[in-house]
Amino acid sequence: MDPTTTEILVLGAGPGGYTAAFYAADKGKKVTLVEQNPRLGGVCMNVGCIPSKALLHATAILREGKESSHRGIDFGPARVEVEKLRNWKESIVEKLGQGIKSLAQHRQVEVVHGRGHFEDSRTLRVETTAGQKFIRYEKAIIAAGSKPAMPHAFDLGNKRVMTSTEALDLPDVPQDLLIVGGGYIGMELGTVYAALGSNVVVLEALPSILTGVDADLVRPVSRVAQKAFKEIRLNTKVLKMATAGKQIKVTTEVNKQQRDELYDRVLVSVGRVPNLADLGLENTKVTKDDKGFIQCNAQLQTEDPNIYAVGDATGGTLLAHRAFRQGKIAVETILGDASAFENVVIPAVVFTDPEVAWCGLTETEAEQKSIEVQVAKFPWGASGRALTFDRPDGLTKLVIEPETERILGVGIVGVGAGELIGEGVLAVEMGATVRDLADSVHPHPTLSETLMEAAESFYGTATHTLSRRSS
Amino acid sequence: MDVKLPQLAEGVESGTVVSILVAEGQEVKKDQPFMELETQKAVGSIPAPSAGVVTKVHVKQGMEVSVGQVLISIDAAPAASTGGATAPPRASKPAAQPATAQPQPSSSATTTSAGATDYRYESKSGVAPPAPPSIRKIAADLGIDLTRVKGSEAGGRINLGDLRDYVQRLQQIALQRAPGAEQPSGQAHQTPASSESVDFSKWGPVHREKMSPLRRTVSRRMVESWTTIPKINQFADADISNLLALRKKNAPGYEKQGVHLTLTAFLLVVLGRALKKHPRANSSLDESTMEIVYKNYCHIGVAVDTEGGLIVPILRDVDRKNLAQLSQELHAITERTRQRKISIEELQGGTFTISNQGSIGGSHFTPIIYAPQVAILGVGQGQPKPVAIDGKIGVRTILPLCLAYDHRVLDGADAVRFLKDVISGLENFSEADLQLK
Repeated sequence: MDPTTTEILVLGAGPGGYTAAFYAADKGKKVTLVEQNPRLGGVCMNVGCIPSKALLHATAILREGKESSHRGIDFGPARVEVEKLRNWKESIVEKLGQGIKSLAQHRQVEVVHGRGHFEDSRTLRVETTAGQKFIRYEKAIIAAGSKPAMPHAFDLGNKRVMTSTEALDLPDVPQDLLIVGGGYIGMELGTVYAALGSNVVVLEALPSILTGVDADLVRPVSRVAQKAFKEIRLNTKVLKMATAGKQIKVTTEVNKQQRDELYDRVLVSVGRVPNLADLGLENTKVTKDDKGFIQCNAQLQTEDPNIYAVGDATGGTLLAHRAFRQGKIAVETILGDASAFENVVIPAVVFTDPEVAWCGLTETEAEQKSIEVQVAKFPWGASGRALTFDRPDGLTKLVIEPETERILGVGIVGVGAGELIGEGVLAVEMGATVRDLADSVHPHPTLSETLMEAAESFYGTATHTLSRRSS
Repeated sequence: MDVKLPQLAEGVESGTVVSILVAEGQEVKKDQPFMELETQKAVGSIPAPSAGVVTKVHVKQGMEVSVGQVLISIDAAPAASTGGATAPPRASKPAAQPATAQPQPSSSATTTSAGATDYRYESKSGVAPPAPPSIRKIAADLGIDLTRVKGSEAGGRINLGDLRDYVQRLQQIALQRAPGAEQPSGQAHQTPASSESVDFSKWGPVHREKMSPLRRTVSRRMVESWTTIPKINQFADADISNLLALRKKNAPGYEKQGVHLTLTAFLLVVLGRALKKHPRANSSLDESTMEIVYKNYCHIGVAVDTEGGLIVPILRDVDRKNLAQLSQELHAITERTRQRKISIEELQGGTFTISNQGSIGGSHFTPIIYAPQVAILGVGQGQPKPVAIDGKIGVRTILPLCLAYDHRVLDGADAVRFLKDVISGLENFSEADLQLK
C-alpha cells in the first residue's frame, strides 16, 4: 500500500497534540493528527480536567446548600439524579470534543482515527477501522499522553475497583468508597463522591495528603476533608484486595497492624503512566528515561532527529497547560525558531475544597534546595471578601528573593484560588518585585486583594492585618 | 564554587594551560596556586580564591582558556563533612577578582568593552535573570544570553532598553576590535580582519604555524600603536669613543664584582637623567580625560629578544640607581626573560623603552612606540666612522640612534632637546659615575 505523505504528523489529540497540530497548520504546514479515540481532546477533555471540574461544580451546590442553613437559607434535603448528572457532564465533554473537531476541519488538519505504530523514523502505521494506513512524515510530534496507573496487585478485573476514568463516568454513588492515594486526583474525586453522599475513606501511604504541596496550603484542605470524608488515614499501605461478593475486601496496614475492611467501590489514584506501550518506538531512535517517559531536550527534540515529544509522554508534571506550551515550542523548533521550554512558570491547581494553587518557587522547594527566601503571608481571615463568602479558611503567600525583593513564587489556598493564581504567574514571569504588586491597586472587595495585602505585609504595612515583616 | 579565569592584566584575555597543579578531590588552601597558565606575556600561576576541596577540574593541559571560563570547581565545605549527601548547593560567590591588573591609563575603548562583557547575573536563588517573556523571546531570537545583560529596573529586571544598550555596546566593541584586534578567544582573527586569507600554496609549497599567544600580543600591540599614534622618527648619532674607552678601563674592576658592563646599562643611566629633565618624554596621554599624565617615577623597558619573540621587561626607578645596580638588574631580568620566568607584573608600568639592536649589528631603524608610552629609543651598533673633528678627519665610534615619539604629546623641538641631552650624556659620561662604591 502506498503511504500518504504529510509534513507534520502529530500522534495524540490531547491538549499537547491538538495545540501542536493547530499551530503548525496556522503556520502553513500540512498536518496529520492521529487519535485512537473517536472523540478528540485526550484525557483532559474526556476523562480528566473537564469532566472532573463539571462534577465538582455540580456537587459544590450540595455542599454549599448544607452550609447555607446557618445563614438563614435552607433548601431542605437535596435529591440527586445520577443519570441526569452524568448526561449533563457528558454533554459538556461532547460539545468540547465537537469544537476541537471543527477547529481541526477549518484548519484543514487531516484527522485519522486509529492506533498508531512507528514503522521507522519517518513512517507511522495506523490501524483504522478501514484497515491499515501508512503515513510518511517529515517530522512527528508524539503527544500520546498518560493513563492512570493500576498496580498489578489491585487489578482484580472487577469493575468495582476503578481508576479516575471509571470514577468520572459516575457508575453509581457507592455507600462506602475507598480512595487509595491522597494526591490531587484522589482528593478531588473524594470531594465529588462525598458531596453525593458516599462515605469516603482516603488511604495515603505518606504522612500527608497532597504530598509536595506546602504544609500551610494543605492544612485548610485537610480540615474540610476531615469533616466531609469519613476518614483520612495517613501512613497506611494497602496490602491486597479481593472480591467479596458485591464488595471489595481491602487489607491495609497501619503501624504494622493489618486490618480487613469491605467497600462498595475502590478508586485507585496512585499516579499516572505514559501511553507508550506498543507505539513501535523501538523502530525509531527515541529513548526513554528510567520511569518510562520519553527523553527530550528543551526544544522537545527526542534522540530521533525526526521525532519530537510533548506533554505527559515526556514526564515531569503532568498538566494540560504544560502540554499546551510544549506543543507550541515543538512546532516553533521545527519551524526553525529559537524556542525552548526553559524558565517557564507552570502553575498548578488542585480543585479540592478549598482550592490550592501555586506557581514558581514553593517554600518546600526552596527548603529542599537551600535557597534563602523570605515569605510574606496574608491570612484570609482578614479579607472582607472571604468573610462574605463565609470562607475565611484561606491563605495567600509570596515567596521572595531577599536581595532583590523579586517574587519567585506564589501560593494560595482558598475558594477560587485557581482563578487567582493567574496574577501570580504574571508576576513571576514578568520578574515583578513585591513593591510592584503592593503598588498595583486591586479592586475591592475581591479575593485578589489578598495578593496585594500579602505584598504589603512584606513591608509591614498591610492595612487589614497587624503584620510584621515575616521571614 | 566555580573558579573562573580572572582578568590577569589589561589586554590579556586568554592563555594556554601549561600545567594543572591539583587533582579532583584534593584539598587546596586559599591562594594556593592550582594551575600554570601561559598568557601572551608570560607563564604565571593562578591562585585559589578560597580554601576547599577541588570537586572538578574543567580544563586540560594544553587547552586555550579565556577570561571568565570555569577552570575548576571548589567545594568550600570542610573536607570532614564529606560522605552521604553533600552540602546543599549554596549560591556561588562572584567570580574570582582580578589577581594582578595594575591600573594603567587605557583607551576608553577597552574600558567600555570590559563593562559590556564582564557583567554576569548571579542569583542566590539560582533563578534566571528577571525579564518579561516578551524580552526573553527577543533575546532568544537574537541569541543573546540574558545573564550578561544588566537590568535597570527594580530587582534588576531587564527591559527592552537594557537589551538594546547591550547589543549596541557589543556592536561598538566588534567595530573597535575588527581592525586586527584580537578576539577574546584568540582564535578567530589571526590576521587583520580586512585582509582575506590568501592561498599561498598556489605558487609553491608552504607550511603554516599557529601564532603563539606572545606573537599575537606583539602583533596586536604594534597594530594598535601604528594605527593610533601619530609618530615622528628623529635620527641622531652619538660619538661613544670616550664612553667605550671608559668602559674598557673600568670593566675589569666591575668584572671582579661579577658585573658585566653593557652599553644598555650606560644608556639606562643617561636616559634616567634625561627623562627627569624632560618629564614629558616620560608621560602618557589619557584620551578619556584629555590629560597628560606625568609620572614621578622612571621605569624603563628593555626589549629582549627571546626564542618565543619580543618581550619587554621593566627596570624600576632607573633614575635612582647607579651603573653597577642597573647592570646587575639588567643582567638578571634579561636572563629571566629569556627563560620565560618573568611575571606579568614585571612587564607592566613602563614609562619609556629602549630597543637596542647593537649586539646583533643593526644600524638606524625606526622603532614603534609601546603605547601608552610616548617615546622609544632605537639603538643600533656603534661603528668606527670617519668624522670631522676640528676641521680634520678622524675615526670615531658612532652610535646610530633614533627617537620615535608621539607627536600628540611631544613636539619636534621637545624631542630634539631631549635627544641632545641623551647624546651629551653618552659623549660626556663622567668617570665619577663609574666609581664602584
